[in-house]
Amino acid sequence: MLAQQDAHEAERNARLVKAVYVYEAPLRLWHWVNALAITVLAITGYFIGKPLPSIAGDTSAQYVMGWIRFLHFAAAYIFAIGFLGRIYWALVGNHHARQIFILPIFNRNWWGEVLYELRWYLFLVKEPNKYVGHNPMAQLMMFLFFTVGAVYMILTGFALYGEGLGAGSWADHMFGWVIWVLGGNSLQVHNMHRLGMWVTLCFIIVHIYAAIREDIMSRQSLISTMVSGWRMFKD
Amino acid sequence: MTETFYDVLRRQGITRRSFLKFCSLTATSLGLGSAAAPQIAHALETKPRTPVLWLHGLECTCCSESFIRSAHPLTKDVVLSMLSLDYDDTLMAAAGHQAEAILDEIRTKYKGNYILAVEGNPPLNEDGMFAIQGGRPFIEKLRETAADCKAIISWGSCASWGCVQAAKPNPTRATPVHKVITDKPIIKVPGCPPIAEVMTAVVTYMLTFEKLPELDRMGRPKMFYGQRIHDKCYRRPHFDAGQFAEAWDDEGSRKGYCLYKMGCKGPTTYNACSTVRWNEGVSFPIQSGHGCIGCSEDGFWDKGSFYDRVTDIKQFGIEANADKVGATAAGVVGAAVAAHAAVTALARARSKSGIDIKQGQEER
Amino acid sequence: MAVYETQGFKLDNTGKRVVVDPVTRIEGHMRVEVNLDSNNVIRNAVSTGTMWRGLEVILKGRDPRDAWAFTERICGVCTGTHALTSCRAVEDALGIAIPENANSIRNLMQLTLQVHDHLVHFYHLHALDWVDVVSALKADPKKTSELAQSISSWPNSSPGYFRDIQNRLKKFVESGQLGPFMNGYWGNPAYKLPPEANLMAVTHYLEALDFQKEIVKIHTIFGGKNPHPNWLVGGMPCAINLDGVGAVGAVNMERLNLVKSIIDRTIEFVDQVYLPDLVAIASFYKDWTYGGGISSMSLLSYGDIPDVANDYSAGNLLLPRGAIINGDLSKIHEVDLRDPEEIQEFVSHSWYKYADETKGLHPWDGVTEPNFVLGQNTKGSRTRVESFDEEGKYSWIKSPRWRGHAMEVGPLARYVIGYVQGKAEFKEPVDKLLKDLGLPLPAIFSTLGRTAARGLEASWAAHKMLYFYNKLIANIKAGDTATANVDKWEPSTWPKEVKGVGFTEAPRGALGHWIKIKDGKIDNYQAVVPTTWNGSPRDHKGQIGAFEASLMNTPVAKADEPLEILRTLHSFDPCLACSTH
Ligand code: HEM
Ligand code: HEM
Ligand code: NFV
Ligand code: SF4
Ligand code: SF4
Ligand code: F3S
Ligand SMILES: [Mg+2]
Repeated sequence: MLAQQDAHEAERNARLVKAVYVYEAPLRLWHWVNALAITVLAITGYFIGKPLPSIAGDTSAQYVMGWIRFLHFAAAYIFAIGFLGRIYWALVGNHHARQIFILPIFNRNWWGEVLYELRWYLFLVKEPNKYVGHNPMAQLMMFLFFTVGAVYMILTGFALYGEGLGAGSWADHMFGWVIWVLGGNSLQVHNMHRLGMWVTLCFIIVHIYAAIREDIMSRQSLISTMVSGWRMFKD
Repeated sequence: MTETFYDVLRRQGITRRSFLKFCSLTATSLGLGSAAAPQIAHALETKPRTPVLWLHGLECTCCSESFIRSAHPLTKDVVLSMLSLDYDDTLMAAAGHQAEAILDEIRTKYKGNYILAVEGNPPLNEDGMFAIQGGRPFIEKLRETAADCKAIISWGSCASWGCVQAAKPNPTRATPVHKVITDKPIIKVPGCPPIAEVMTAVVTYMLTFEKLPELDRMGRPKMFYGQRIHDKCYRRPHFDAGQFAEAWDDEGSRKGYCLYKMGCKGPTTYNACSTVRWNEGVSFPIQSGHGCIGCSEDGFWDKGSFYDRVTDIKQFGIEANADKVGATAAGVVGAAVAAHAAVTALARARSKSGIDIKQGQEER
Repeated sequence: MAVYETQGFKLDNTGKRVVVDPVTRIEGHMRVEVNLDSNNVIRNAVSTGTMWRGLEVILKGRDPRDAWAFTERICGVCTGTHALTSCRAVEDALGIAIPENANSIRNLMQLTLQVHDHLVHFYHLHALDWVDVVSALKADPKKTSELAQSISSWPNSSPGYFRDIQNRLKKFVESGQLGPFMNGYWGNPAYKLPPEANLMAVTHYLEALDFQKEIVKIHTIFGGKNPHPNWLVGGMPCAINLDGVGAVGAVNMERLNLVKSIIDRTIEFVDQVYLPDLVAIASFYKDWTYGGGISSMSLLSYGDIPDVANDYSAGNLLLPRGAIINGDLSKIHEVDLRDPEEIQEFVSHSWYKYADETKGLHPWDGVTEPNFVLGQNTKGSRTRVESFDEEGKYSWIKSPRWRGHAMEVGPLARYVIGYVQGKAEFKEPVDKLLKDLGLPLPAIFSTLGRTAARGLEASWAAHKMLYFYNKLIANIKAGDTATANVDKWEPSTWPKEVKGVGFTEAPRGALGHWIKIKDGKIDNYQAVVPTTWNGSPRDHKGQIGAFEASLMNTPVAKADEPLEILRTLHSFDPCLACSTH
C-alpha cells in the first residue's frame, strides 16, 4: 500500500526528527512564484476581455490596456518558463516532485486510496491517511487541474500571443497550429482561454481551502511545508 | 504551357489549311469581312486569356457584386483583357442549354488550364436539391467542372467556410468547397463579401506571375489575410490607451475611440479591411463606427453576439459566455467549499467535546 | 388538368415543352418551363425557384439585434434593404424611436441602393436582351456620335470615343474568346436596334460598369462597406462629429462633401445616360407589347422612404403605398401588414410543409419547414429533372397572396399606384415618357413598362438623395447630431414577449419582415420578399404568379433561343436568393 510505504518513510525519519524534508527549495520557490504569476494572469486576463472604464486624454499619455496586456504577457512568460523549470525539476528532484506529472493510474491501490480520500472529504471516514508527498486525491486534482490546465493555458495563450507577434513569428510557428486545431476562428480560442481562467480559479479555491483544512485536520503540516520544505507529523 | 486554340485544333487532327478556313468563316460570320481572318488566326495562335468558369452555389451574389466594384484594375479591364470570363450565370449573355454547353466546351478545350471560381457552396442534404441547376444538384456541376481545372478560387465566406446558410442548424448542410473537392489546389478568399480589390488582386497575381499565391495555414493568400484587422486598425492607439466607446453614439463613439467594448471582432479577424479598406479606400466598417463582425472568419455567425467582446460559447447549449459559465462555476465551488468548511468545523467541534476523532486516534 | 383558366389566362400544357435552366443574368438560380403551341406562342408557364438556404430557420433563437446582419445576407444585390427592414421590424417590436439623422441616413442608403440596383440591372442584367453586341462592330462611330449627341448632353460622345470602344470590342471579339458574350443569341431576329444604337448601348454598358462602383460609396461612408454595409437597431452606427476632437473617422464635413459629390454625379449619370438610353432603346421596341401579365390587374406596394423619422403611415412615405386588385384602377386599397387576413403565404405548390396546405398563414404565424417532393408527372428522376410537374410542388418559393390575390410588386407597381393617386412626381414623368414614345397609358402594363418604370424611379431616387442630404445638413445645423437611440439596447429592458413588422420598398418591390421576440430571443422570423411575390408558383386555387402570367401568350421567334422569355423575366429583375431565402 502506498500509504504504508509513506508511513514507513515517515517512521524511518521520524525516529530521528519527526519531520521529513519533502519539497526541495526550487520547488517551493517555484510554487510561490507560480501562484503569484497566476494571480497576475487572472486579474489582467479578466480586464483584457472586459476592460476598465475609459479614461479621457491623449493617446500618447495613456497606456492602460497596453500595461495590462504587458503585465499579462510578462506574467505569462514567468508562468510558462517556470512550468518548464518545474518539468526539469520533476526529472532531477526527489520522487515527490514527479507526482503532479505522473499518475499511477494502473495501480489499483492508488485508486483505492483516491476513493479513501474522497470518503474522508465526504466525512465518511474518521481519519485521513498520512502522506509525505501529496495525498492521491490531491495528486489527481493537481494533475487534472493544474498540470493539464497549465499546458492548456500555455498552448492557447501562446497561440493568441503568436497572433499579436504576427504570422511567421516564433510563437506562430510553435503555437499557431492550436488555433487551427480549435477550428480556426481565434475568437473561439479567446473564449476557451478565458474559460480556462475560470477553471484555474475554481482549482485555486479548492486548493487553498484543502491546504488550510488539511493543515488543521490531518495532523500533519501543509502550508508551512510549502514554505520550509519539511513535513511535520503531529502524532 | 497553356494550349492555344490553334494547338487544340491541331491536336484534334485539323490541318492548318482548314484552321485558316475556319478563321475566315468566323470572320465573316461575325460580320468582320474576310480581311479580319489573319488577325483572328494570329490571336488564336498566340496565348489565350485564361478561361475562368465562375459557378454559383448557395449564395447571395454579393461576391460578384463586390468583384464588379474593383477600381484597380477596373472590372471591365479584367473581363475584357486579363482573363476570359466564359461562364458566370450572373453576367453571361447565354442562358439555358447554350450556357451549359460552354462548361463542356471549356472543360475539353482547356483541360487543366482553366480556373474554377466558386461563389457560394453546395448543400448536401436532400440529395443536394436545395440548389438545383439544370435539373440536377449543384454539387454535380461543381465536381464535374472541378475535375479538369487548374485551380479553384473559393470566393467569399460561403465557398471558404459555409457562411450564413451553414450557420446553425445549417438546414441544407451547406458545405464549403474544400470539404467536397479535395484533389485540387484551393485558394480561399474569405469575407462576406471579400474586398473588391483583394479579389481582383488575387486573380491578377495568378495571371501575372503565373503561380498560385502563397497561402497560410487556413488556405488564404498570406498577402491579404496575414494580419488581423486589429493589427493595423487606426483606432489601435485608443485600444492601447484604454479608450473605448462605451455605448452607441456616446462621446467615445464621436471621438473615434476603439470599438472593442461594442463587440469589435477586429482582434480575431484576418482580413485587409483596415489597410486596403473598402470601395477604393473610402472607409471600412470600423471607420464608419460599427465594430468588425468578423465576416472573413470561419463560422463567425455562430460565435455569439456581434455586440459582445466575451461572446457566447454555443457548446454549453444554453446561452452562456466564458464569464457566465466561469463565474457560476466559481460561485458553486466557493459555496461548496464554504459548506464543506462549515461541516468540518462542526465535526471538529463535536470531536473536541471528547469523543470521536481524537478518541479514535488514541485507541490506535 | 391540361387546360384551365385563371386570372383571365388560359393555361394549356399540351404543346411542346421548352426548358430554360439556368435563367441567367439574374440573382440566384431559377428555371422556367413553357409550353409552346404550334405557332410558337407561350400557352403555359412554370417558373421554379431552384435554391433554398433556410435563413428563417437559422434566425430562430438568435439575438434580435444581430438579425439585420443575417437577413442582409439574404441578398448581396439588393444589399442593405433586408438589414433596414430587419432593424425596423425589431424597432417596431420593441417600440424604439430612431433619431431624425438616422432616418435621413437610412433613406440616403436605401435610395443609393435603388439607383445602383436599377442601373446595374438595366445595363448589365437586362440590356443584352435588347442590344446585340456583335452588331455594334458594324456601327459607324461618327453616326453613333450623332445619335448620342441628339439624345443627351453627356460629354463622352465624340466619334473618336466610340471608335476607341469599338476597336477594343473588335480586338476582343477577334481574340476568339468571347467571355461573357459567348453563345449569346446574336443575330436573333428579335433584336431590332441599328448597329449605332447597339454601339452606343455597349459603350454605356462599360461606362455604367465603371460608374456603378461610385454610387455605392455612400454605403461605404455611412455603413463602412458595400456590399453589405453595417446597420444598427436604434439608429445608425456612424456617429456625427463635425468639429470636435477626433472628428476624423466620424461623419464630418469631408465625408458629407463626398456624399454630396457622389449624389451630383449620380444624378448626372442617370439623367444623361440611363434615361436617354432607355428612351432610345424603347423607341425601337415600341411594338413589342408583351409581358404585362397581372400588372394591369393586381399591384401591391407597402411604401417607403419616411420623410420624418418613425412615422410609417402612408402620408409620410415618399414612395406610394396601396393595392390594386381586379384591374380596378379607380380604387387604391389600404394595406395593413398586421392584419392576419391580408398577407398570407401558401405552400401547396412549394417545397414546404404546412399542417393544412389549403390555408395560408400570416407571416407572424408563418412556418418554414422544407419538404422536397415532386409531382407524379415529373419527367426524369428526383436528381435529374427533365420537366417539373406544376400540379405538384415545384418551387422553393412560397406563394404570398394579398387577400387571396396574386400580386405584382416592383417599380411598375409603385409608379402605377403613385400615378393613380395623382402624385405629380410619379404621374408627370410617366406621361412625359409615354408622350415621347407616342404610346397610350395601357402600354405601361408590359415588359417595357416595367423596365421604363425602373428607369424613371432611378432618376426619382437620385434626386431624392439630394433632398435627404439637405435634410441631414439642416438638422445638423439645427444642433441635432444624434444618430442612435440606446434606451432599449439592453435586452433586460425588453418585454417578455413582443412582435413587430418592418417594411421597405426594395428595388424589386414590397419587402416585409415579421418578427416575434420571446425572452430576448427570436421566436419566429418570416420574410416575404419582392421576388417571392413576383416569382410565386401556383397557389392552392391554381392562381399563377406574376412571372408565369407575364410569359403567357408571348410569341417566341426561335424556340431554341429563348430571348423573349429572358426579356420578360428580366424586366422583373428576378432575385432568387431573395425570393426563397
Ligand atoms: C495561484 C495559486 C496556486 C497554485 C496554482 C498552486 C499550485 C500548487 C501546485 C501545483 C502544487 C503542487 C506542488 C508540486 O508538487 O509541485 C501545490 C502545492 C501546495 N500548495 Fe499551492 N498553489 C497556489 C496557491 C497556494 C496558496 C495560496 C497556498 C497556501 C494557502 C498553497 C498551498 C500549497 C500547499 C500547502 C501545497 C503542498 C500540498 C502538499 O503538501 O501536498 N498554494 N500548489
Ligand atoms: C493561468 C494562466 C492564464 C490565465 C488565467 C489567463 C487569462 C487570460 C484571460 C482571462 C484572457 C482574456 C481572454 C479574452 O477575454 O479575450 C487572456 C488573454 C490572453 N492571454 Fe492569458 N491567461 C493565462 C495564461 C496565458 C499564457 C501562458 C499566455 C501566453 C503568452 C497568455 C496569453 C494571452 C494572450 C495573448 C491573450 C490575449 C490578449 C489580447 O487579446 O489582447 N495567457 N488570458
Ligand atoms: N426580391 C428581392 Fe431583393 C430586392 N430588391 C429584396 O428584398 O433582391 Ni435580391
Ligand atoms: S460570402 Fe457572404 S457575400 Fe459572398 S455570397 Fe456568401 S453571403 Fe454573399
Ligand atoms: S476598433 Fe476593433 S480592430 Fe480597431 S483597435 Fe479597437 S478592437 Fe482593434
Ligand atoms: S466585418 Fe468584415 S468587412 Fe472587414 S472589418 Fe470585419 S472583416
Ligand atoms: Mg419567407
